[in-house]
Amino acid sequence: MSMTDDAAMTVDLAGRTYRLIGNDDAVSGAVAAALSANGAQASGSEADILIAATPLLPDSSETGVPLPAVAEIGRSMAAREGGRIVFLLSALGGLPMRRHVDYSAAMAAAVAGMRGLAMALGPHVLVNAVGAGVIEQGGELLAGDRRMLTHASLGRAGTIADITNAVLFLCDPMNTYTTGQLLTVDGGWSVGYGRNF
Amino acid sequence: MRCDLSGRVAFVTGAAGAIGSAIAKRLAENGASVVVADVNLAGAEQVAAKLPGAMAQLCDIRSEASIDAAVEATTARYGRLDLLVNNAGVNTFANRVTIDSFPTAEWDRVTGIDLDGLFLMSRCALQPMLAAGRGGRIVNIASVVGLAAMRLQIAFVAAKAGIIHATRAMALELGPQGIVTNAIAPGSIMTEGTKALFYGSDGTFAGRTAEFMQHIPLGRPGTTEEIAEAVLFLSSPASGYINGQVLAVDGGWTAGFSP
Repeated sequence: MSMTDDAAMTVDLAGRTYRLIGNDDAVSGAVAAALSANGAQASGSEADILIAATPLLPDSSETGVPLPAVAEIGRSMAAREGGRIVFLLSALGGLPMRRHVDYSAAMAAAVAGMRGLAMALGPHVLVNAVGAGVIEQGGELLAGDRRMLTHASLGRAGTIADITNAVLFLCDPMNTYTTGQLLTVDGGWSVGYGRNF
Repeated sequence: MRCDLSGRVAFVTGAAGAIGSAIAKRLAENGASVVVADVNLAGAEQVAAKLPGAMAQLCDIRSEASIDAAVEATTARYGRLDLLVNNAGVNTFANRVTIDSFPTAEWDRVTGIDLDGLFLMSRCALQPMLAAGRGGRIVNIASVVGLAAMRLQIAFVAAKAGIIHATRAMALELGPQGIVTNAIAPGSIMTEGTKALFYGSDGTFAGRTAEFMQHIPLGRPGTTEEIAEAVLFLSSPASGYINGQVLAVDGGWTAGFSP
Protein backbone atom coordinates (compact mmCIF):
# COMPACT_ATOMS: atom_id res chain seq x y z
CA MET A 1 0.00 0.00 0.00
CA SER A 2 2.97 2.30 0.33
CA MET A 3 4.38 2.32 -3.18
CA THR A 4 2.90 4.61 -5.76
CA ASP A 5 2.40 3.95 -9.42
CA ASP A 6 1.22 5.94 -12.39
CA ALA A 7 -2.19 4.27 -12.52
CA ALA A 8 -2.93 4.74 -8.81
CA MET A 9 -5.54 7.43 -9.49
CA THR A 10 -7.39 9.16 -12.27
CA VAL A 11 -9.13 12.49 -12.50
CA ASP A 12 -11.49 13.65 -15.22
CA LEU A 13 -9.85 16.63 -16.91
CA ALA A 14 -11.63 16.19 -20.24
CA GLY A 15 -12.31 19.53 -21.87
CA ARG A 16 -9.70 21.36 -19.80
CA THR A 17 -6.45 22.85 -20.97
CA TYR A 18 -3.12 23.25 -19.23
CA ARG A 19 -0.01 25.30 -19.63
CA LEU A 20 3.42 24.70 -18.13
CA ILE A 21 5.84 27.54 -17.43
CA GLY A 22 9.22 27.68 -15.73
CA ASN A 23 11.65 24.83 -15.30
CA ASP A 24 11.68 22.09 -17.92
CA ASP A 25 12.87 18.78 -16.48
CA ALA A 26 11.84 15.13 -16.07
CA VAL A 27 9.39 15.95 -13.27
CA SER A 28 7.61 18.81 -15.02
CA GLY A 29 7.55 16.75 -18.21
CA ALA A 30 5.91 13.88 -16.33
CA VAL A 31 3.35 16.26 -14.84
CA ALA A 32 2.41 17.45 -18.32
CA ALA A 33 2.13 13.83 -19.48
CA ALA A 34 -0.08 12.96 -16.50
CA LEU A 35 -2.41 15.88 -17.19
CA SER A 36 -2.66 14.78 -20.83
CA ALA A 37 -3.27 11.16 -19.82
CA ASN A 38 -6.19 12.36 -17.69
CA GLY A 39 -7.83 14.22 -20.53
CA ALA A 40 -6.40 17.75 -20.41
CA GLN A 41 -4.89 19.33 -23.51
CA ALA A 42 -1.79 21.46 -23.72
CA SER A 43 -2.47 25.08 -24.51
CA GLY A 44 -0.30 28.10 -25.21
CA SER A 45 -2.58 30.60 -23.52
CA GLU A 46 -5.86 30.96 -21.65
CA ALA A 47 -5.34 27.58 -20.02
CA ASP A 48 -7.58 26.26 -17.24
CA ILE A 49 -4.60 24.79 -15.37
CA LEU A 50 -1.23 26.46 -14.94
CA ILE A 51 1.79 24.47 -13.76
CA ALA A 52 4.60 26.71 -12.52
CA ALA A 53 7.71 24.55 -12.34
CA THR A 54 10.89 25.43 -10.45
CA PRO A 55 14.26 23.66 -10.23
CA LEU A 56 13.85 20.84 -7.70
CA LEU A 57 17.53 20.09 -7.08
CA PRO A 58 18.86 22.38 -4.34
CA ASP A 59 22.32 22.68 -5.86
CA SER A 60 20.76 24.23 -8.93
CA SER A 61 22.25 27.59 -9.83
CA GLU A 62 18.77 28.70 -10.83
CA THR A 63 16.43 29.34 -7.92
CA GLY A 64 14.14 31.71 -9.73
CA VAL A 65 10.42 31.26 -9.29
CA PRO A 66 8.30 32.77 -12.07
CA LEU A 67 6.01 34.61 -9.66
CA PRO A 68 5.24 37.73 -11.77
CA ALA A 69 4.39 35.58 -14.78
CA VAL A 70 2.18 33.34 -12.64
CA ALA A 71 0.43 36.36 -11.14
CA GLU A 72 -0.32 37.78 -14.57
CA ILE A 73 -1.75 34.50 -15.86
CA GLY A 74 -3.65 34.10 -12.59
CA ARG A 75 -5.31 37.50 -13.00
CA SER A 76 -6.53 36.51 -16.45
CA MET A 77 -7.90 33.27 -14.96
CA ALA A 78 -9.67 35.30 -12.28
CA ALA A 79 -11.16 37.54 -14.97
CA ARG A 80 -12.50 34.40 -16.68
CA GLU A 81 -13.77 33.23 -13.26
CA GLY A 82 -11.97 29.91 -13.14
CA GLY A 83 -8.61 28.20 -12.99
CA ARG A 84 -6.11 26.14 -11.08
CA ILE A 85 -2.50 27.03 -10.43
CA VAL A 86 -0.07 24.42 -9.10
CA PHE A 87 3.52 25.32 -8.24
CA LEU A 88 6.13 22.57 -8.34
CA LEU A 89 8.33 23.52 -5.40
CA SER A 90 10.77 21.84 -3.05
CA ALA A 91 9.98 20.61 0.46
CA LEU A 92 12.79 22.97 1.49
CA GLY A 93 10.19 25.73 1.11
CA GLY A 94 8.65 24.45 4.33
CA LEU A 95 11.83 23.48 6.18
CA PRO A 96 15.18 25.08 5.28
CA MET A 97 18.40 23.06 5.02
CA ARG A 98 21.69 24.31 6.41
CA ARG A 99 23.52 23.25 3.27
CA HIS A 100 21.15 25.06 0.95
CA VAL A 101 20.45 28.47 2.44
CA ASP A 102 19.82 30.48 -0.75
CA TYR A 103 17.72 27.75 -2.30
CA SER A 104 15.65 27.30 0.91
CA ALA A 105 15.02 31.04 1.04
CA ALA A 106 13.93 31.16 -2.59
CA MET A 107 11.53 28.25 -2.02
CA ALA A 108 10.12 29.79 1.17
CA ALA A 109 9.52 33.00 -0.77
CA ALA A 110 7.72 30.98 -3.43
CA VAL A 111 5.50 29.41 -0.76
CA ALA A 112 4.62 32.87 0.57
CA GLY A 113 3.92 34.00 -2.99
CA MET A 114 1.71 30.99 -3.61
CA ARG A 115 -0.30 31.72 -0.46
CA GLY A 116 -0.59 35.39 -1.31
CA LEU A 117 -1.86 34.56 -4.79
CA ALA A 118 -4.37 32.09 -3.33
CA MET A 119 -5.86 34.94 -1.32
CA ALA A 120 -5.64 37.46 -4.15
CA LEU A 121 -7.09 35.24 -6.87
CA GLY A 122 -10.04 33.72 -4.98
CA PRO A 123 -12.83 32.86 -5.13
CA HIS A 124 -12.61 31.38 -8.63
CA VAL A 125 -8.92 30.47 -8.93
CA LEU A 126 -7.36 27.86 -6.63
CA VAL A 127 -3.62 28.16 -6.02
CA ASN A 128 -1.58 25.42 -4.37
CA ALA A 129 1.88 23.87 -4.43
CA VAL A 130 3.50 20.48 -4.26
CA GLY A 131 6.66 20.40 -2.14
CA ALA A 132 8.92 17.63 -3.40
CA GLY A 133 11.24 15.74 -1.10
CA VAL A 134 13.83 13.31 -2.44
CA ILE A 135 12.62 12.03 -5.80
CA GLU A 136 14.57 9.51 -7.82
CA GLN A 137 14.09 7.61 -11.03
CA GLY A 138 16.36 4.80 -12.12
CA GLY A 139 18.95 5.85 -9.55
CA GLU A 140 18.99 9.43 -10.81
CA LEU A 141 18.26 12.15 -8.28
CA LEU A 142 15.52 14.45 -9.59
CA ALA A 143 14.55 16.43 -6.48
CA GLY A 144 15.87 17.13 -3.01
CA ASP A 145 19.11 16.11 -1.33
CA ARG A 146 19.76 12.45 -0.45
CA ARG A 147 20.80 13.51 3.06
CA MET A 148 17.10 14.10 3.71
CA LEU A 149 16.46 10.35 3.55
CA THR A 150 18.17 9.80 6.89
CA HIS A 151 15.19 11.56 8.50
CA ALA A 152 12.41 10.54 6.11
CA SER A 153 10.45 8.00 8.15
CA LEU A 154 9.48 5.99 5.08
CA GLY A 155 13.20 5.43 4.57
CA ARG A 156 13.17 5.64 0.80
CA ALA A 157 13.03 8.16 -2.01
CA GLY A 158 9.79 9.05 -3.71
CA THR A 159 8.98 8.49 -7.35
CA ILE A 160 7.91 10.83 -10.12
CA ALA A 161 4.42 9.32 -9.82
CA ASP A 162 4.25 10.49 -6.20
CA ILE A 163 4.60 14.04 -7.50
CA THR A 164 2.34 13.73 -10.53
CA ASN A 165 -0.44 12.20 -8.42
CA ALA A 166 -0.24 15.07 -5.93
CA VAL A 167 -0.56 17.50 -8.84
CA LEU A 168 -3.54 15.58 -10.20
CA PHE A 169 -5.24 15.83 -6.78
CA LEU A 170 -4.70 19.59 -6.77
CA CYS A 171 -6.29 19.72 -10.25
CA ASP A 172 -9.10 17.31 -9.30
CA PRO A 173 -12.44 18.86 -10.32
CA MET A 174 -13.93 17.42 -7.11
CA ASN A 175 -11.25 18.95 -4.88
CA THR A 176 -12.70 22.45 -4.80
CA TYR A 177 -12.07 23.84 -1.30
CA THR A 178 -8.28 23.42 -1.11
CA THR A 179 -6.34 26.61 -1.81
CA GLY A 180 -3.18 28.20 -0.44
CA GLN A 181 -1.73 24.82 0.51
CA LEU A 182 1.78 23.43 0.28
CA LEU A 183 1.23 19.69 -0.10
CA THR A 184 4.58 18.24 0.86
CA VAL A 185 5.51 14.89 -0.66
CA ASP A 186 8.62 13.91 1.25
CA GLY A 187 8.02 10.61 3.07
CA GLY A 188 7.82 12.45 6.39
CA TRP A 189 11.16 14.28 6.17
CA SER A 190 9.89 17.71 7.21
CA VAL A 191 7.58 16.45 9.94
CA GLY A 192 10.05 16.12 12.82
CA TYR A 193 12.94 13.99 13.98
CA GLY A 194 13.02 10.63 12.23
CA ARG A 195 15.20 9.11 14.93
CA ASN A 196 14.61 7.40 18.27
CA PHE A 197 15.64 9.69 21.12
CA MET B 1 -10.77 11.48 -8.52
CA ARG B 2 -11.06 7.77 -8.77
CA CYS B 3 -8.83 5.09 -7.34
CA ASP B 4 -9.02 1.38 -6.60
CA LEU B 5 -9.58 0.58 -2.94
CA SER B 6 -11.16 -2.80 -3.61
CA GLY B 7 -10.07 -5.41 -1.08
CA ARG B 8 -9.22 -2.69 1.44
CA VAL B 9 -11.10 -2.28 4.70
CA ALA B 10 -11.68 1.23 6.03
CA PHE B 11 -12.80 1.99 9.59
CA VAL B 12 -14.42 5.44 9.86
CA THR B 13 -15.32 6.82 13.29
CA GLY B 14 -18.17 9.26 13.71
CA ALA B 15 -19.47 7.90 10.44
CA ALA B 16 -23.13 8.52 11.21
CA GLY B 17 -22.47 12.25 11.18
CA ALA B 18 -22.43 14.63 8.25
CA ILE B 19 -18.70 14.62 7.45
CA GLY B 20 -18.15 11.00 8.51
CA SER B 21 -20.96 9.67 6.34
CA ALA B 22 -19.64 11.63 3.34
CA ILE B 23 -16.20 10.09 3.92
CA ALA B 24 -17.66 6.59 4.23
CA LYS B 25 -19.62 7.06 1.00
CA ARG B 26 -16.61 8.32 -0.97
CA LEU B 27 -14.40 5.44 0.19
CA ALA B 28 -17.11 2.90 -0.62
CA GLU B 29 -17.63 4.43 -4.08
CA ASN B 30 -14.00 3.62 -4.77
CA GLY B 31 -14.26 0.01 -3.72
CA ALA B 32 -13.38 -0.01 -0.02
CA SER B 33 -15.32 -2.12 2.46
CA VAL B 34 -16.29 0.45 5.07
CA VAL B 35 -16.94 -0.05 8.76
CA VAL B 36 -19.41 2.71 9.57
CA ALA B 37 -18.53 3.19 13.23
CA ASP B 38 -20.39 5.53 15.55
CA VAL B 39 -21.66 5.84 19.11
CA ASN B 40 -25.03 6.26 17.43
CA LEU B 41 -25.66 2.75 16.11
CA ALA B 42 -29.03 3.54 14.55
CA GLY B 43 -27.43 6.38 12.59
CA ALA B 44 -24.55 4.15 11.53
CA GLU B 45 -27.01 1.51 10.32
CA GLN B 46 -28.79 4.07 8.15
CA VAL B 47 -25.50 5.10 6.52
CA ALA B 48 -24.20 1.55 6.09
CA ALA B 49 -27.45 0.38 4.52
CA LYS B 50 -26.75 2.58 1.48
CA LEU B 51 -23.15 1.44 0.98
CA PRO B 52 -22.39 -1.88 -0.69
CA GLY B 53 -20.23 -4.16 1.46
CA ALA B 54 -20.34 -1.84 4.45
CA MET B 55 -21.16 -2.76 8.05
CA ALA B 56 -22.51 -0.60 10.85
CA GLN B 57 -20.65 -0.85 14.13
CA LEU B 58 -21.27 0.61 17.55
CA CYS B 59 -18.09 2.35 18.68
CA ASP B 60 -17.74 4.74 21.59
CA ILE B 61 -14.19 6.07 21.34
CA ARG B 62 -14.25 7.09 25.02
CA SER B 63 -14.31 3.41 25.95
CA GLU B 64 -11.43 1.00 25.38
CA ALA B 65 -13.84 -1.93 25.69
CA SER B 66 -16.10 -0.49 23.00
CA ILE B 67 -13.14 0.17 20.69
CA ASP B 68 -11.73 -3.32 21.26
CA ALA B 69 -15.09 -4.87 20.42
CA ALA B 70 -15.44 -2.74 17.27
CA VAL B 71 -12.01 -3.62 15.93
CA GLU B 72 -12.59 -7.28 16.77
CA ALA B 73 -15.89 -7.21 14.88
CA THR B 74 -14.09 -5.66 11.92
CA THR B 75 -11.42 -8.33 11.66
CA ALA B 76 -14.02 -11.05 12.31
CA ARG B 77 -16.10 -9.80 9.36
CA TYR B 78 -13.40 -8.77 6.89
CA GLY B 79 -10.20 -10.39 8.17
CA ARG B 80 -8.23 -7.17 7.91
CA LEU B 81 -8.12 -3.46 8.61
CA ASP B 82 -6.17 -1.24 6.20
CA LEU B 83 -7.36 2.29 6.78
CA LEU B 84 -8.47 4.20 9.85
CA VAL B 85 -10.21 7.55 9.53
CA ASN B 86 -10.30 9.24 12.94
CA ASN B 87 -13.24 11.51 12.24
CA ALA B 88 -15.30 11.40 15.44
CA GLY B 89 -15.17 14.60 17.43
CA VAL B 90 -17.20 17.17 19.32
CA ASN B 91 -16.97 20.87 20.02
CA THR B 92 -18.29 23.21 22.67
CA PHE B 93 -21.60 24.86 21.95
CA ALA B 94 -23.26 25.69 25.25
CA ASN B 95 -20.11 26.79 27.04
CA ARG B 96 -18.68 29.50 24.75
CA VAL B 97 -16.65 31.23 27.45
CA THR B 98 -13.03 32.22 27.99
CA ILE B 99 -10.59 29.94 29.82
CA ASP B 100 -11.02 31.64 33.21
CA SER B 101 -14.54 30.27 33.49
CA PHE B 102 -14.35 27.22 31.20
CA PRO B 103 -15.92 24.26 33.04
CA THR B 104 -13.68 21.32 33.90
CA ALA B 105 -16.37 18.87 32.86
CA GLU B 106 -16.55 20.44 29.41
CA TRP B 107 -12.76 20.37 29.03
CA ASP B 108 -12.80 16.68 29.95
CA ARG B 109 -15.69 15.91 27.60
CA VAL B 110 -14.16 17.61 24.54
CA THR B 111 -10.55 16.52 25.01
CA GLY B 112 -11.73 13.06 26.12
CA ILE B 113 -13.46 12.44 22.81
CA ASP B 114 -11.36 14.49 20.40
CA LEU B 115 -7.85 13.71 21.64
CA ASP B 116 -7.99 10.78 24.06
CA GLY B 117 -10.45 9.02 21.78
CA LEU B 118 -8.16 9.40 18.77
CA PHE B 119 -5.27 7.95 20.76
CA LEU B 120 -7.25 4.96 22.05
CA MET B 121 -8.81 4.28 18.65
CA SER B 122 -5.49 4.49 16.80
CA ARG B 123 -3.64 2.27 19.26
CA CYS B 124 -6.24 -0.46 18.94
CA ALA B 125 -6.69 -0.26 15.15
CA LEU B 126 -2.93 -0.43 14.66
CA GLN B 127 -2.75 -3.93 16.13
CA PRO B 128 -4.23 -5.79 13.13
CA MET B 129 -2.48 -3.40 10.71
CA LEU B 130 0.94 -4.07 12.22
CA ALA B 131 0.30 -7.80 12.64
CA ALA B 132 -0.61 -8.14 8.96
CA GLY B 133 2.58 -6.34 7.88
CA ARG B 134 0.95 -4.88 4.77
CA GLY B 135 1.30 -1.27 5.86
CA GLY B 136 -1.76 0.91 6.15
CA ARG B 137 -3.19 4.39 6.34
CA ILE B 138 -4.45 6.67 9.05
CA VAL B 139 -6.23 9.91 8.27
CA ASN B 140 -6.96 12.15 11.25
CA ILE B 141 -9.62 14.81 10.97
CA ALA B 142 -8.26 17.84 12.80
CA SER B 143 -9.49 21.40 12.30
CA VAL B 144 -8.12 24.74 11.20
CA VAL B 145 -8.46 25.83 14.83
CA GLY B 146 -5.57 23.46 15.52
CA LEU B 147 -3.50 25.64 13.16
CA ALA B 148 -4.90 29.07 14.00
CA ALA B 149 -6.37 29.50 17.47
CA MET B 150 -9.84 30.87 18.11
CA ARG B 151 -11.53 32.30 21.17
CA LEU B 152 -14.20 30.70 23.37
CA GLN B 153 -13.43 27.04 22.63
CA ILE B 154 -10.21 26.35 24.52
CA ALA B 155 -10.73 22.60 24.83
CA PHE B 156 -11.48 22.11 21.13
CA VAL B 157 -8.56 24.30 20.04
CA ALA B 158 -6.13 22.47 22.32
CA ALA B 159 -7.43 19.03 21.32
CA LYS B 160 -7.20 19.76 17.59
CA ALA B 161 -3.66 21.15 17.93
CA GLY B 162 -2.86 17.96 19.82
CA ILE B 163 -4.24 15.87 16.96
CA ILE B 164 -2.04 17.73 14.48
CA HIS B 165 1.16 17.11 16.37
CA ALA B 166 0.14 13.55 17.21
CA THR B 167 -0.28 13.03 13.46
CA ARG B 168 3.34 14.05 12.91
CA ALA B 169 4.59 11.78 15.69
CA MET B 170 2.53 8.89 14.35
CA ALA B 171 4.04 9.48 10.90
CA LEU B 172 7.53 9.27 12.34
CA GLU B 173 6.79 6.20 14.45
CA LEU B 174 4.76 4.21 11.95
CA GLY B 175 6.45 5.17 8.68
CA PRO B 176 9.12 2.47 8.99
CA GLN B 177 6.30 -0.12 9.14
CA GLY B 178 4.78 1.26 5.95
CA ILE B 179 1.87 2.92 7.71
CA VAL B 180 1.46 6.52 6.66
CA THR B 181 -0.45 9.02 8.76
CA ASN B 182 -1.79 12.38 7.66
CA ALA B 183 -4.37 14.89 8.82
CA ILE B 184 -6.98 17.04 7.22
CA ALA B 185 -7.84 20.34 8.83
CA PRO B 186 -11.32 21.29 7.67
CA GLY B 187 -12.26 24.93 7.76
CA SER B 188 -15.81 26.11 8.10
CA ILE B 189 -17.96 23.27 6.77
CA MET B 190 -21.65 23.62 6.14
CA THR B 191 -23.96 20.68 6.66
CA GLU B 192 -27.73 20.37 6.52
CA GLY B 193 -27.68 20.81 10.29
CA THR B 194 -25.62 24.00 10.27
CA LYS B 195 -27.13 25.65 7.17
CA ALA B 196 -29.32 27.88 9.30
CA LEU B 197 -26.23 29.23 11.06
CA PHE B 198 -24.76 30.41 7.77
CA TYR B 199 -27.69 31.67 5.76
CA GLY B 200 -30.48 34.06 6.60
CA SER B 201 -34.05 33.53 5.47
CA ASP B 202 -33.35 35.51 2.25
CA GLY B 203 -30.68 33.01 1.15
CA THR B 204 -27.74 35.37 1.69
CA PHE B 205 -25.12 35.03 4.40
CA ALA B 206 -26.39 36.09 7.80
CA GLY B 207 -24.76 39.26 9.25
CA ARG B 208 -21.92 37.83 11.29
CA THR B 209 -21.32 35.08 8.74
CA ALA B 210 -20.86 37.63 5.96
CA GLU B 211 -18.13 39.33 7.98
CA PHE B 212 -16.49 35.99 8.77
CA MET B 213 -16.56 34.91 5.12
CA GLN B 214 -14.33 37.89 4.26
CA HIS B 215 -11.52 35.93 5.91
CA ILE B 216 -11.98 33.04 3.47
CA PRO B 217 -10.57 33.64 -0.03
CA LEU B 218 -13.14 31.33 -1.57
CA GLY B 219 -15.86 33.33 0.20
CA ARG B 220 -18.02 30.40 1.24
CA PRO B 221 -18.11 27.50 3.67
CA GLY B 222 -16.94 24.12 2.44
CA THR B 223 -19.03 21.02 1.89
CA THR B 224 -18.76 17.58 3.41
CA GLU B 225 -18.00 16.17 -0.05
CA GLU B 226 -14.96 18.45 -0.33
CA ILE B 227 -13.57 17.00 2.91
CA ALA B 228 -14.35 13.48 1.73
CA GLU B 229 -12.43 14.04 -1.51
CA ALA B 230 -9.28 14.95 0.43
CA VAL B 231 -9.71 11.89 2.66
CA LEU B 232 -10.02 9.73 -0.46
CA PHE B 233 -6.74 11.07 -1.86
CA LEU B 234 -4.87 10.51 1.40
CA SER B 235 -6.36 6.99 1.55
CA SER B 236 -5.42 6.09 -2.00
CA PRO B 237 -2.40 4.27 -3.38
CA ALA B 238 -1.60 7.57 -5.14
CA SER B 239 -0.43 9.31 -1.96
CA GLY B 240 1.97 6.75 -0.51
CA TYR B 241 4.90 9.18 -0.11
CA ILE B 242 2.88 11.85 1.72
CA ASN B 243 3.45 11.29 5.43
CA GLY B 244 2.78 13.47 8.46
CA GLN B 245 1.17 16.25 6.48
CA VAL B 246 -1.67 18.46 7.61
CA LEU B 247 -3.76 19.46 4.64
CA ALA B 248 -6.05 22.38 5.38
CA VAL B 249 -9.23 22.11 3.33
CA ASP B 250 -10.46 25.52 4.28
CA GLY B 251 -10.99 27.67 1.21
CA GLY B 252 -7.69 29.42 1.94
CA TRP B 253 -8.77 30.64 5.38
CA THR B 254 -5.42 29.86 7.05
CA ALA B 255 -3.24 30.64 4.01
CA GLY B 256 -2.74 34.18 5.30
CA PHE B 257 -4.60 37.27 6.44
CA SER B 258 -7.34 37.91 3.92
CA PRO B 259 -9.60 40.79 4.96
